[in-house]
Amino acid sequence: MDVSELHIRRFDKVLIANRGEIAMRILRACHELGLSTVAIYSDADRNAPHVRFADEAYHIGPSTARDSYLVIEKIIEIARRSGAEAIHPGYGFLAENAEFARTCYEADLVFVGPPPSAIEIMGDKSTARITVSAAGVPVIPGTERGLSEEELLAAAQKIGFPLMVKASAGGGGKGMRPVHAYADLANAIAAAKREALAAFGNDSVYLEKMVTGSRHIEIQLLADAYGHVVSLGERECSLQRRHQKLIEEAPSIFVDEALRQQMGEVSVAAAEAVGYVNAGTIEFLVDSEKNFYFLEMNTRLQVEHPVTELVTGVDIVQEQLRVARGRRLSFSQEDVSIQGWAIECRINAEDPYNNYLPSTGLITTNQLPTGPGVRVDTGVFPGITITPYYDPMISKLICYGKTRAEAVLRMRRALNEYRITGVKTNVPFHQRMMDSHRFMSGKFDIEFVENQFSLTDRERPHGMEAAILVALAYHEQSQRAAQIVRAGTRETANWKWYDRMR
Amino acid sequence: MKYYATVDDQEYAIEVGHENRIIVNGQPYDIDFQKVPDSGVTSLIIGHHSLEAVVEEKDGDWQVLIRGDLYDVRVEDERSRRLSSARGKLGVDEGDAVIRSPMPGTIVAVSVSEGQQINKGDKVVILESMKMENELRSPRDGVVGQIMVEVGASVEKNQILVVVSD
Repeated sequence: MDVSELHIRRFDKVLIANRGEIAMRILRACHELGLSTVAIYSDADRNAPHVRFADEAYHIGPSTARDSYLVIEKIIEIARRSGAEAIHPGYGFLAENAEFARTCYEADLVFVGPPPSAIEIMGDKSTARITVSAAGVPVIPGTERGLSEEELLAAAQKIGFPLMVKASAGGGGKGMRPVHAYADLANAIAAAKREALAAFGNDSVYLEKMVTGSRHIEIQLLADAYGHVVSLGERECSLQRRHQKLIEEAPSIFVDEALRQQMGEVSVAAAEAVGYVNAGTIEFLVDSEKNFYFLEMNTRLQVEHPVTELVTGVDIVQEQLRVARGRRLSFSQEDVSIQGWAIECRINAEDPYNNYLPSTGLITTNQLPTGPGVRVDTGVFPGITITPYYDPMISKLICYGKTRAEAVLRMRRALNEYRITGVKTNVPFHQRMMDSHRFMSGKFDIEFVENQFSLTDRERPHGMEAAILVALAYHEQSQRAAQIVRAGTRETANWKWYDRMR
Repeated sequence: MKYYATVDDQEYAIEVGHENRIIVNGQPYDIDFQKVPDSGVTSLIIGHHSLEAVVEEKDGDWQVLIRGDLYDVRVEDERSRRLSSARGKLGVDEGDAVIRSPMPGTIVAVSVSEGQQINKGDKVVILESMKMENELRSPRDGVVGQIMVEVGASVEKNQILVVVSD
């Protein structure tokens, strides 16, 4: 256990080094625990709710994140000025930046997260793979980087087909080739090398087993500073587009008790191997035969943590703060039980009918769904402008039910109640998904959204009503204009006009 | 008064002004239309079917949000329609079409060249904004007229990027 680079002690004031819905989430947890809060804000966020809800607020710089929310020295300096004793990084921005965690330590501040060394190990794909593999976590079978072509050809037989040829310096699908039979391998390696050389100036490639029909399933962990690591079960996150998760569930319809236990145990072992403390998540690819392979560990709080909170009853953000204050986890593995079902839809400012183009603008209406089993985590209010500076997530709509079916029906109802205008949103995407048989039956993998799901076959049911509403509103506008011309400043409230009409 | 409202390529002729009755494409409906004070929402009861909507207008463009779907609606009254038809037919698919930047960002790639024949839906420009690469596609078939930006350029919202001609 290496907690030597982590102050673990009591604190009463927390600086939240983030914005948007996650800053709100952390503020709420702090206030429930009686901790006072310090917000930071950029130019664009002066009116944001996290500023208004915090006990103190400090301006940190211009709207671009690299001049504000990403500037470590400014954040440390505000912590000093405000007397904050701890920093919660949220997710994104500096949350997985080992240097930031280390700078907090050196500035005698409690970092609400894991030790910098754990962030470092898990932040490097290759080191992470070697580390967790040594701890007994299955990784996708493949070769090392930097083998010769002869060595690759020999290794391919052991890995088996289908497999992927990937560029060592890779990213963005460049220098990547699927291969289904040995006969095609030599050509694929040559092509991938050419592509990799052109794209990255480095023609080194490696092989990896192709995991087909796979799901993205992850395990939520909580660890205290005394060596206790507990699994809070899995989340199903297979519904993604361009590697962005869109819908998450807990539990997963695909995971039975035996698999849950097995995945939980290896995840705990992986966390122990790096001396992990605080909340973390291990992401896996799970194939149709229920073989699972390590993808990566996220050494921070995750966007989709609420679905786990709803089915376990554990407040993950409060636990993060408790653990950072030196408390032991208040429960053991045996106390964790999964009750009911939770689904989260990420509501993004983007146009699902136009290639998911991001949409910016002033939020004019923001009427949130409510009622039984509905939770909305958001940082958006009417009067807030969705800017191009930050990511396009407006809110997380989370629904809970006794069963998956109940949760789905509740989500459908809640999506119908959501009224947000000023930007286009992906609400219709979620509505279509909640209606889809594939989603209902739980038969989907990580390629479903991109390859087999379409919004265009959905008929928009209220076109005529929309036309009527606009005709009436336009009519009213013209009448009012005519009245003003006729009678100067006469009372022209809407209700009066309608009253006269009858 | 008679209005013509177009939604999702479907036109509705709507007669308004007969108490709480409207006529849509010749079909009469009983309606009750109320703006709920200070809430931003409008309640429409049409033949006892109840709907809540958000109706917004900006510079003559109307948008209606109903149960999660945002509808763009074009509306004109009888008079302006007569005037516009007197000016001659100005269909959507005629004349030059411009592709504008839907948001501020940086041009990552221009996938077409001037004079190139393209089809509706073809990728024209890739714009990076909100940490994502976004493909902008041609709204129609045509020939690439003018390319007004180059790779690496920063663009503002609504800036014209590419002109597509007949």
